[in-house]
Amino acid sequence: MASVPGQEMNSREQRQASDHEGFLAHRNMRWLKIAVTLCLIAITSYLWIDVTPRHNGGSWYGYTLGTIGLLLIVWLSLLGIRKRTMSPGRWSLKAWTSAHVYLGLALVVIATLHTGFQLGWNVHTLAYALMMLVILSGAYGITVYAALPAALSNNAQQMTRKEMVEALAAIDRQLETAAQPLGREESDLVIAALEQDTFAWGIGARLTGRYRKCATIRALSYFASDWSRPVGSEEPKDKVRALLGRRKSQLDQIRRHMKIKALLEVWLYVHVPATFALLAALTAHVISVFYYW
Amino acid sequence: MAFLIRTIDTTADGREIIRDRKVDKDVLTLGRAAEHDLHLPDLAVEQYHARIEQMAGGKIRVEAAGTLGFHIDGRISKSAQFPAQEGAELGLGSYRLLVSQGTDGPVTITISQTEGRTTSSSDALAGFSLGATLPGKRAMAWIALGVIMLAFLAVPIFTNLTRTPVPPAIDRPGQVKMDASWSSGPLSLAHHGLEDNCEACHVEPFQSVRDETCLSCHADIADHAAQPRQLAARGPMSTGDDIQWAIAHQFGKEGPGSCTTCHTEHEGAGRMEPTAQQFCSDCHGSLDTRLTDTAIGNAGDFGTAHPQFKALLFTAAGQTKPARISLADQPREFSGLRFPHKMHLLPNGGVARMAGNLGTKNNYGAALVCADCHTPTADGSAFLPIRMEDDCEACHSLVYDKVGTTFRTLRHGDIDQMRADLAAMDRAPRVPAVSGIIPGRRRPGPFAQGGLYYQNFGRPAGSLVAINRALAKDGVCGECHIPTMTNGRADVLPVRLVDHYLVKSRFDHKAHKQEKCTTCHGANASENASDVLLPGIKTCRTCHMGAEDRSAEVPSSCAMCHSYHPANAKDHPPLPGKGKQGIGDKVALIGRADPAQRQLDRVW
Repeated sequence: MASVPGQEMNSREQRQASDHEGFLAHRNMRWLKIAVTLCLIAITSYLWIDVTPRHNGGSWYGYTLGTIGLLLIVWLSLLGIRKRTMSPGRWSLKAWTSAHVYLGLALVVIATLHTGFQLGWNVHTLAYALMMLVILSGAYGITVYAALPAALSNNAQQMTRKEMVEALAAIDRQLETAAQPLGREESDLVIAALEQDTFAWGIGARLTGRYRKCATIRALSYFASDWSRPVGSEEPKDKVRALLGRRKSQLDQIRRHMKIKALLEVWLYVHVPATFALLAALTAHVISVFYYW
Repeated sequence: MAFLIRTIDTTADGREIIRDRKVDKDVLTLGRAAEHDLHLPDLAVEQYHARIEQMAGGKIRVEAAGTLGFHIDGRISKSAQFPAQEGAELGLGSYRLLVSQGTDGPVTITISQTEGRTTSSSDALAGFSLGATLPGKRAMAWIALGVIMLAFLAVPIFTNLTRTPVPPAIDRPGQVKMDASWSSGPLSLAHHGLEDNCEACHVEPFQSVRDETCLSCHADIADHAAQPRQLAARGPMSTGDDIQWAIAHQFGKEGPGSCTTCHTEHEGAGRMEPTAQQFCSDCHGSLDTRLTDTAIGNAGDFGTAHPQFKALLFTAAGQTKPARISLADQPREFSGLRFPHKMHLLPNGGVARMAGNLGTKNNYGAALVCADCHTPTADGSAFLPIRMEDDCEACHSLVYDKVGTTFRTLRHGDIDQMRADLAAMDRAPRVPAVSGIIPGRRRPGPFAQGGLYYQNFGRPAGSLVAINRALAKDGVCGECHIPTMTNGRADVLPVRLVDHYLVKSRFDHKAHKQEKCTTCHGANASENASDVLLPGIKTCRTCHMGAEDRSAEVPSSCAMCHSYHPANAKDHPPLPGKGKQGIGDKVALIGRADPAQRQLDRVW
């Protein structure tokens, strides 16, 4: 009897272990190996094949690399469609994502060799630059996906986002009551703190964590610098100050959460629009080459 | 008088609770402080915010207590008065106070609170995400896509299709907008004027640049060889080349052998890239196997497979057209001159002494050097033809007479004129300049030289003797020329010097000026004018080897010396001082000798 739970544990652990194999390590890094091989072939052939007068996207070798690069880009951008349907098996979404990451990185080598290092102010280099932007943002995305979720749950300390917002609301209700005896100027500071939208902050504040126009910080600094009364007296100002302090720490938690979320999400705001821009520039690149053939 | 104060509260489930109370006062005070008649617990309301007073005549007066006003019927005010019958709506903070009075009833103030401050809205959870602050990814994506498609595709294509075609010109800007963004790189310097005029070369959409387009400007360029011969000469293609051309033809490329096969563009501002050796060696490496009647030797690589040079030479007296003879056959040149280079270059011979005597006023050093007689062309690439008057006559004087302080000189190159000059010399009295030629008579007194009755009675026959003597082997002409008889009269053989010995290629002396002349030309050992002082290919190969030979000092492709396109005089009008200079103007010279300056001079 005693062995049965142990077996159960084992199979569960096994399942968990296999579940935890992320898309990066999928199938013993099969796609990493494929991508590295692809890059090595490209680099070797680039050095081996003597294109005259010099390497160029317009040589036969350049066209070959360009075609490979084009097919890769189109296929890579199809992940946006593919990811909406999950499926297991050989062409599981995980396998697809793994290939997306590694073949996307291999594209750096293939497309750079396609250019023959001839860059300029033209639509061809625009396509190249956009491609590099997409790849770099993607690489950033992988990095933060590996590092930041842990920070997110650390910061949450077992609070859900809803609980954070509700905790803030509870502090606000107490603050409103506690501030009733205050004078005009002080009331206005509290009102400003209460009325300020917790989430109406731009990407700059979210990413840096610097909230220069934060009314809570302003109110807190006002009350904290007012040391005319002994701390701990029954003055309503002390209570307001304490409540503002609590509001500030609750805000801090929310803002840390927002920061990590922003760091986790910001790359997609580059990756996805830049992909579409890249597809447009790539179309212009290919059509222009054959239009002025 | 009294107020009826009606408070309306809303429960969480939306039910309204109405409480009435009566206050028997004429004046009500309102504020956030609890002691007021109307306690409005809102931080936006002052501790003591305002008072409401019932006045005689059924009027109500509202007065702000502090600096903060209130809203009355939507407008902000600090003091207001209105008939109670008409009523008014006051606003303080989040509170609405409806003041009204029914017939005979007390003045009623209905207090309700609009929705209070909400810091946590329903979309709070979404607020954590960046989507709350950034425009949507989809919108950004489509905008970027649209802008790029419009600027880099729609605009150039539209303006290209709607233009009126004009013949290309080097100084005309293009009509197509935004197509500069399509250029994959700057054009070569020769085509720089077309930089802004893409459609000058890219005439039809989706059609590769045609030879006819190139020839619309380069109208006078000649074919490398007649087309059928050229096709017959073409070497077999490798499988790779075959596949490449099969694909290229699918995409509508001309060639092989079209202009663009060799002349690639958009490779950066500079000289157009020289053609690779393989383009030549494919055909010329084994030319005789396909063109069995060809006179051209096989040449696949300068270092390992190149025939000995053929020099353009006159080899016999009476020859009127020079012939190209391989240096391997050790030809002897017959120029009609007697000129031992060695004697002129000896550092301690008679020539050297004479140069020393003439001295620096004639730019001579202690002995003669090559440059004393051979003058480079203006560009330094070759040498001007030797002219007797400029290059020899400083020593080989043709002075035959002196009148006063002026010397008379025979005109070089015109024997009839020489005869006339020498024959006429005796007709005037003067001191003969050269006693060896015209001995004067010596008589005393007034008959002596300078005397009243002095007369030169020299016989004409004396002149004739002198003329014949001048044309003899050891005479003044025969010193350099070879005497002969023409129609029974003494004469010299015509001089036949070629300007360029190597006419199928181009040699740039300037590129070799760090070398001494004698490194290649064995002039200081040459005792006879018939020596051909051209270096053979072996001498060149001490530095120059084939393009692929990386160990050579100067890896040299065919294009370094040879031009693909034959010279065509119509190509360029004659330039001042250039004259005819062997093969013309399309020879690509590659200055690889100095790797720091791989600038490729175009030598005319």
